[in-house]
Amino acid sequence: MIRIENLKKAFGKVTVLDGIDLSIEPGEVVSILGSSGSGKSTLIRCINGLERIDAGRITVDDFDVSNPKELAEARKRSGTVFQLFNLYPHLSALRNVTLAPVEVLKRNAAEAEKEGRALLESVGLGDRADAYPAQLSGGQRQRVGICRALAMKPRYLLLDEVTSALDPEMTAEVLEILADLTGRGTTMIFVTHEVAFARSISDRIVFLDQGRLLVDLPCETFFAEDGGMANARVAQFLSKMRKD
Amino acid sequence: MRAGRSIALTTARDAVETEIGFTRTVAGLNLIVSDLAPHIALLAQGALLTVEVCVLALAGAVVVGAAIAMMRASGSRLLRGIATVYVDIFRNIPFLVQLFFFYYGLPELGIYVDAFATGVLALSIAGGAFASDVIRSGILAIDPGIVEAAQVYGLSRRTTFLKIVMPIALRLSVRPLGSVLINLILTSSILSTITLNELTGSAKIVASQTFRPFEVYAVLLLAYASLTYLLSIAIARFHRRLNRGVLEAV
Ligand SMILES: Nc1ncnc2c1ncn2[C@@H]1O[C@H](COP(=O)(O)OP(=O)(O)OP(=O)(O)O)[C@@H](O)[C@H]1O
Ligand SMILES: [Mg+2]
Repeated sequence: MIRIENLKKAFGKVTVLDGIDLSIEPGEVVSILGSSGSGKSTLIRCINGLERIDAGRITVDDFDVSNPKELAEARKRSGTVFQLFNLYPHLSALRNVTLAPVEVLKRNAAEAEKEGRALLESVGLGDRADAYPAQLSGGQRQRVGICRALAMKPRYLLLDEVTSALDPEMTAEVLEILADLTGRGTTMIFVTHEVAFARSISDRIVFLDQGRLLVDLPCETFFAEDGGMANARVAQFLSKMRKD
Repeated sequence: MRAGRSIALTTARDAVETEIGFTRTVAGLNLIVSDLAPHIALLAQGALLTVEVCVLALAGAVVVGAAIAMMRASGSRLLRGIATVYVDIFRNIPFLVQLFFFYYGLPELGIYVDAFATGVLALSIAGGAFASDVIRSGILAIDPGIVEAAQVYGLSRRTTFLKIVMPIALRLSVRPLGSVLINLILTSSILSTITLNELTGSAKIVASQTFRPFEVYAVLLLAYASLTYLLSIAIARFHRRLNRGVLEAV
């Protein structure tokens, strides 16, 4: 379980996360919505230890990410997929996928490679395993990014706007893979502007507004008139998203 | 009649002088192809020595440069300080002075190193200061998101540096490191001052043996120009090959 208690984070004088409480159970798919600048990316970056937190506590399966000794264990349990892919440009798609399993999990190279190929195969990139990131389309790159995360067999998948750098066609191919993953019980924390997609895959929706967790509701309830929509900020956000 | 004869004489003398001048030039050309021939072996040996020194020094400079760049990127203030001082010192002292210090100064302390090793070492140390700047800008040019990816996947600082940061930085540095190598080759001519008979040293010997400094140094000039020209072509190719498919636009 990922447990976030009274999380606070500021950049200089600007408070970006202001007392967030949130728990995510294994198997859940939780989407995080909120307008630009509300702190969604920062929240993800606090969970995977890329940002130092100012107050509160974040644990991943009881490993405290603020404790340098426990961070490594916490990180083994979660995999991050980035908005701009952040693939290793000098390594082939396959090596991007197998690097961490070999280096961090000390997996046997040949085995890791076999599994890596199977993963790439499963996202339709079986024949592109030896291509470098620059030789792949955006959608293909993001599929490699997803495989790189899955290769670590994470319990939790952190996804921060993984389709917002992609055109609609590529977005569709990536979302299809994510939908497939939810069907297989992968826990996901999904930051997105794809409201319709979030609605179709999520168990829960969390709404951030100016660094505060405003709404945390089951998906059905969130979109109900007397549920999340009863909150003025949520209603405003959703109507704006619909217009876009 | 007198005047006519005199004119005839002058013309004759001019003709003779032209004749002599012409033979001199032809003799010069002859010298290059025939008289220089016995010395070609010596020059070729010198060129080979230059290439050997420079290849070793390049490897040395890249290792030193990478180490210094690594220190400059480290969290320790002490290491950063040492690295900065190193770069400042070796970039701000004439190479000749460094060389004399190593070759003629150190033996006073009982440290003897032969001319070849001194040459390689001195070039590596001085070249390393320049290479470290190049590699450092390569490191700074890396998208921080790539390093963050390595972090969240649990790669240690060491592994991240060795398997992600350095390989990318070195790829980005091929061209500018090529310029460092070319400078090493040019600078290596100074090694002739510590009795190392590399290309320039051998040319000096041939020039004094043949009493033909013009022709010999013309050959030397050409030799350096073609060496560095060929090298710059090779570097451009190597850059393209190494980065094909890796950098967005090569
Ligand atoms: N490294 C940083 N330094 C200073 N301010 C930052 C930094 N990172 C984020 N911020 C600020 O924190 C706030 C929240 O940013 P964050 O990226 O978390 O928002 P977001 O909800 O992900 O927005 P978007 O939907 O545009 O991605 C913004 O005001 C942003 O300017
Ligand atoms: Mg964001």
